[in-house]
Formats: sequence, C-alpha cells, structure tokens
Amino acid sequence: MAPPKRMSGWRQFKAIIRKDIVMELRTKEMLTSMGLYALLVLVVYYIALSQAGANFQVRQIAAGLLWLVFIFTSLLGLNRSLVHEKDQGCLDALLISPIDRPVIFFGKAVGNLLFLLIVEVFIVPLFYFIFLGSQSNADVGGPVWMIVLALFLGSLGIAGVGTLLATMSVNTKGKDFILAVLFIPLMFPLLLAVVAGTSAVLLAEPGYAAVFWQMMALAAGYDTVMLLAAYGLYEFVLGA
Amino acid sequence: MKQLKVAIVLVLVGGLLTTAAFFMAFFTAEVQTFGTVTLDKAVDTAFGLAPPELQPPGGGVSYQRPWFSQKIFYFHVPVAEASFLVLIISAVFSVLFLVKRRPQDDTKAKVAMETALIFVILTMITGVLWTRASWNVWWEWEPRLTTYFIMMLMMIAYFVLRNSIEEDERRGVYAAVFAILAAINAPISFLITRVIPSNHPVVFQSGFAGSNLLPFIIAQLGMLALGYGIYTARMSEELLRERVEVAKEELEG
Amino acid sequence: MTETNSTECALEVRGLSRTFGARKALDKVEFDLPQGAFLSIFGPNGAGKSTLLKVLSTLTTPSKGTARVLGLDVVADAVALRERMGLISHNPLLYPDLSAEENLEFFAEIYCLENPKERIRELLVAVELDHRRLDLVRTFSRGMLQRLSIARALLHAPEIIFLDEPYSGLDPHAMDILDSLIAQVREQHTFVMVSHDLSKGLELCSHALILAKGAVVLFEERDNIDADEFAATYRATVGMGVA
Repeated sequence: MAPPKRMSGWRQFKAIIRKDIVMELRTKEMLTSMGLYALLVLVVYYIALSQAGANFQVRQIAAGLLWLVFIFTSLLGLNRSLVHEKDQGCLDALLISPIDRPVIFFGKAVGNLLFLLIVEVFIVPLFYFIFLGSQSNADVGGPVWMIVLALFLGSLGIAGVGTLLATMSVNTKGKDFILAVLFIPLMFPLLLAVVAGTSAVLLAEPGYAAVFWQMMALAAGYDTVMLLAAYGLYEFVLGA
Repeated sequence: MKQLKVAIVLVLVGGLLTTAAFFMAFFTAEVQTFGTVTLDKAVDTAFGLAPPELQPPGGGVSYQRPWFSQKIFYFHVPVAEASFLVLIISAVFSVLFLVKRRPQDDTKAKVAMETALIFVILTMITGVLWTRASWNVWWEWEPRLTTYFIMMLMMIAYFVLRNSIEEDERRGVYAAVFAILAAINAPISFLITRVIPSNHPVVFQSGFAGSNLLPFIIAQLGMLALGYGIYTARMSEELLRERVEVAKEELEG
Repeated sequence: MTETNSTECALEVRGLSRTFGARKALDKVEFDLPQGAFLSIFGPNGAGKSTLLKVLSTLTTPSKGTARVLGLDVVADAVALRERMGLISHNPLLYPDLSAEENLEFFAEIYCLENPKERIRELLVAVELDHRRLDLVRTFSRGMLQRLSIARALLHAPEIIFLDEPYSGLDPHAMDILDSLIAQVREQHTFVMVSHDLSKGLELCSHALILAKGAVVLFEERDNIDADEFAATYRATVGMGVA
C-alpha cells in the first residue's frame, strides 16, 4: 500500500517559504508594518531619552532598547503571518494534503525568521546611527559578527516559539492581545540572555568575550529546548 | 461530598501546621541566638545577612531577638516551593490530556494551575514584605522573585488563553500546550536570572542552621496539605458543575 | 485513475464515535458507501455533520470505532489517504494575495505533482478561468472563487471529494456553474457532501444520511427515498435537534 509517488518534505517546505515571500513582495504588508512600527518605537525612544542629560550614556542600555524594538515588531509580524493561513481556511487545505505537520511548522517558522532578520538588517544600522553614532565613544565596541550572532540566536527563538503561539492565538478571540500575553513571559529568559550578550559586546569592557559566550550558550540552550518543545507540540495545536 | 470533607480537613491541617511552624520558628531561632552572639553569619543563616544600614548601630552588638522578618521565611519558601510543584503537576496532567484526551485531565490541569496561581501570588506578597523588611526596598529583581513574577504572568496568561476559546477540546489542547511550555520555561528563567551579569549585590545566601530545619519542614508539609486541600475543594466543585451540565443537557433532550 | 485495491466500498464506517467527556459529537455511526456514489449528509446544527466530515477527511481522529475511506484507515493510513482526497468548502481555501495560477502552483508543489504547468492549464480552462489566471484571487467574485477552489481540489486527481456546504453564499448563477462542474466530474469520483439545503442535497445525491445528536437517523439510497416523506423525517429530526 505504498504511495504511488514520494512526497517530498523539502519540496513542500520550499513551496511554503516561496509562497510567503511572493505574497510579501506583492503586498509588502508585513515588512512595511513591522518597519514602520520599528521607526515609531525609535521616535518614542528619542522622547524617552530626550531629558536624560549629556552625561547619560545611551550605550549602557542600548542593547535592551534594541531588543525591545524587535520583540514588539515580531509580535506584529507573527500575527500577520498566521492570519494569512487562517483567513480563507488555507490551513485546512494544507492539513488535508499529504504534508507532514513539522514541514508546516518549519516552513512558517523559517519564513517568520526571514522577515524578522530583514527588519533587523534595516533597523540595527539605523539604531546605531541615531542613538550611538554621535556618542563620544562611537568606536568602542566588540566585533560586529558577535552582534549578528546574538541577533540570530534571539530571532531564532522568537520565530520558533512565536510561530507555535501565533498558530494558537489566531484561533482565539482577541488574536494579537493573546499573542502578546502568551509570548512575552515565554520569551523572558531568551531576551535576558541576548540583551546581556549584546550589551557585553556594545560596551566591550575587559573580559566581555567570556560573558558574551556564556550568554550565547544560554540563548542557544533556550532555543534548543523551546524549539524542540514547540516542534513536538505543534502537531497537537494543528489537530485541535 | 466525601471529597469536600477531605478538602476541609486538609485545609485545616495545613493551616494548623503552617501556624505551628511560624511560632516554632520564634522558639528555635531564639534558642539559636540566645547568649549574645554577634550578628555574624552564624545566626540568621536561614535568611542571610541584613544590609549594613539595617544592622544595629555599632556593629557586632549583641543581638537577642531574631529579625521578625525572618519569620516570613517559614511561609515564603514553602509556599514558593509548593507553587512550583503544583505547576509541574498541572503540566503532567496537561501531557496526560494531550495523549488521552480525557476532559477530566484538562479540568485537573486547570484546577492545579489555579492552586499554583494562588500560591505564586502568596509568594509574591510575602516576597515583597521580605524584600522590604530585609533589604529596605519594596521590590528587588532578585532571581527567585523575578522567576516567580514571570511564573505569575504565565499563569495569568494561561487563564486568559482559556477564556478566549469557546470550543471545549480546542481550549483543552491549547491550554495544555501552553502549560507544558510554561513549566519548561520556569526553570530556564530561574537559571538565566541567576547567571545573568548584574549590578545588584547578591544579598541572599541560604544555608541552614539545623534547629531551623524542623519548623521549615513542618511549614512545608502544612503548605502541601493546604495546596492539596484547595485543589480537592476546587475539583469537587468542578465535578459538581459538570454533573449539573450533564443533567441540564439530559433534561433538554 | 487507478483501481482501488481489494474493496468496493468508498466508505466503510463501523461504530464510529467521537466524544469529548459527556458530549457526543458522533455516536456509533455505521454505514457503507459504494464507489462512485454521492452521499449527502443532512442534519440540524450541532448534529455532528462537520465532525463526521472531519473524521473522514483525517482532520480529527475517532474516539471509538473505525472509518475506512477508499479501503484506507483514517488513522493508520492518513498520509496515503490524503493524497487521494480533495476538499471543496464554503471557504475558498485560497490565498487572496496570490494569482489564480500561483495558488494552483503552490498546491501542486504541496502535492508534489509531476508536470504541474500542464495540469494547471488544463484545469483553468475547465473552470473557465484561463483568461484571469494572472489576476489576484483577491479581485475574484464569489462564483469565480468557488470555481478556482474546485480546480484546486481536483488538482491532484483525487478519487473522493468532500464538499462542506459548497453552496452557501453563492448566487444562483454561481450555483449553476458549480452544478455543471460537479456534473462534469461526477462520473469518476465519489462525493461526500454536508449540506443544509435539502432540495439541493437530494437532487445531487445517490445516498442520503440524516444525523441527529451524532447518531444516524436514516441512511438510504436515493431511489428508495420519497422526497416528501424524507422532508418530514428531516423536519422531525430538526425538531428534536439542539435548536
């Protein structure tokens, strides 16, 4: 009773990603809303910091501010991404097709990761330019690739856990609110680790590399545990 | 109705044990500090050292009565540990529900989560009292307190999630998935808050004088009895409610 | 179309129950449906129609009993079964921000079809949407959506097609088109339709099933059914239904 043709998970995975990219390139809905929202948050930061005085070093809290932008913009993107699947019942169409459930999870999660990374590529330099570029110690700081690694590990966790939570929240009343309520406490340990890691690199105090690597190990540990859990639980969420 | 009686007995026993432990703590702690010992790390080990500004002037002054705030310890730590245990129990019922799809497992997970939330809130309240008395601040982002704060938020999120879904089975599945994630997340949160580089001095150092162990164990047992009592009481209520639902449906049919 | 192995039955349902606690969505449902038949499932809201459809289309699992579709068990052989069934719902199940062609291409990839281009072209012509194939689905009328949705369901040449209230929200003209499209593919396929619409359902079906409170009230071949009597039975069931 073997199926006549082999279903290829890789082909299905690529199809899901390509579909999300084509849709995004056409509507630019997610990227514009996430990007614009990020810009608005930057303005709010400026207001918040406007009375901080000349002695205040934004660099001290820059990592936290940066991750705050991403956590809120990712909420926006995650919700959108799953609403697309839910709106016209497309998720049902996927579920009755011969596709392994994990392929759907990985397809959606990788798509979300991609969009988040694109937003980060635009926001990080802008953030640096606006808040850190003019500071007296502009040239201080560790290598850029360290920041990139921290951004990647953080975004990985956000996209993975976020995809699972967004799949649940689109089926509830008050989608976006529920997503935020579920998402932020679960993200807490990861955020703490990546903020500490990013901050270590930005400040580049003696011995920062050791702190950085310890934090990256924690973030990677969180990603591993939570992504495995999300992967294991996704099938239950889809089946409900 | 037998369940309800059990619940009442358990709550009474629990209340009795925790109260007893509280007063015992005065007794044992006093024995420990009896005889003009300097406020050194040997004394209030259960509670760590008070910051300098709270120590009696002159330093090294003889010290007769233990800090009253130390007594919170015999409430705070047992309730905190019990709350974590109940969260794990809730996650176990959640796993059972996902596998077997029996509605009673969902109800048990929910009621366990309620009990855990009550305990976490008690932990937070006693924690705030403690930080105020001990460190002279209302709130301190100390690893344990922070973890419990996050746990409280996750538990509240659990109930927000439940309330936003109409359909029984879907509600059960989503809630179970989130409960499992929350139970995995709580220890990770604790670990990370512990190792995160921080500017705050480490004020809390636990260690036990042997004489304090007995009231602590009694308090812990009392708290577990209380927890199980609350759980049983709520379960019997839920079961009753379900029976009413079924009866209603039968009448309509 | 390959011949189905071993069995003549498209559907074989045995003691099928789907319960959650005291709530019985399906209660010991049992029936057989031959290959090539058209089954209409009727029943009041909450009678278990959509649950039955969900079990048969492998979206949910039975609590008790078994269901075999095309000789394949809905739990054990779910993956193999999914390759051989299609779904047409009142929801279009299409992405509004993709063009007609892109939508079909996406699902062709999901089903891992060989030569998708040809198949898609052929189907678009069949549902008379070839001239709009590059337009976004967002701009389509309800009737066009439904036609494209049929093309999507037929893409991988399924042997059994599930219809979930396909007529709801369609104007009479769109209904006619849907009718004729179903008539075109009627011969080679087995259909299972869930519907509120009594006359429409009876008109199309070869077998009729009435569900109430999850249990089978009536299962009969169309030829043995008297329309008036059937309507009376149905009304009686709705009367005792969950309002």
